[in-house]
Amino acid sequence: MAGVMQKFILASMIMWVAPMAILYGFNHHIIPGSGQLSSSSQTLLSGFLAVISVNLVIVFYIIMAMKEPANRESQPDPAFLAEAKASINQSATTTSNPDAQSRDKVE
Amino acid sequence: MGESSSWSRALVQISPYTFASIGIAISIGVSVLGAAWGIYITGSSLIGAAIKAPRITSKNLISVIFCEAVAIYGVIVAIILQTKLESVSDSQLYAPESLRAGYAIFASGIIVGFANLFCGLCVGIIGSSCALSDAQNSTLFVKILVIEIFGSALGLFGVIVGIIMSSQATWPAKTA
Repeated sequence: MAGVMQKFILASMIMWVAPMAILYGFNHHIIPGSGQLSSSSQTLLSGFLAVISVNLVIVFYIIMAMKEPANRESQPDPAFLAEAKASINQSATTTSNPDAQSRDKVE
Repeated sequence: MGESSSWSRALVQISPYTFASIGIAISIGVSVLGAAWGIYITGSSLIGAAIKAPRITSKNLISVIFCEAVAIYGVIVAIILQTKLESVSDSQLYAPESLRAGYAIFASGIIVGFANLFCGLCVGIIGSSCALSDAQNSTLFVKILVIEIFGSALGLFGVIVGIIMSSQATWPAKTA
């Protein structure tokens, strides 16, 4: 479970940081060549690159998640299973000995 | 009696800055509304289904990532729109080009906000069913993921049109 959370938090953080960094780079002319663009094409390019970066992170996360080995398939949690089995056994023993329990009313 | 209708005069005299600022607010506000709605619908089903089938959590967090991407689209467009908001001189404030820029930013914000609202809602409901059916039968997951990818493309359409719309929002140059 910890591995799952780690991957998820890492992917979420990259998903936030990457487009912000791209937009920041274009707006403050840090990226080489962004100074020569006209305002409208700078907007278009920075916007589309940011959206593409978000989608790349999503695809990357999907690939990482699908690659996980499918262990413990179609088996419920073992502790839950043990408790369920114990309660079934207990009710089986009580129904097989009906006179073991006295059901007289105590007054 | 000789005046034109007062509503149309009132609308035309609203400052383009107002329209642009409301557009920016709607772009991020309504996008986050859609993303939050989707995440809570998916999250509650996912946590409930994981009680008896804990293996589903790693793959079904993909639905939550799709919803979060919707919020990020809203933030991206809000940042782009606020770089487009420039000051113009007083005489130019109600020039037609100035009004056009204000309306373009407003429209871009509405486009992105509402497209992301419904995309987030759609992905959230599909993600919740995905978690429940994956818990029962893990071969169904990939098929439902295809439906989710179609759902998340809706937000992408809105973002693309919003960005194209905002790229041509030019305010009049500051002439003397």
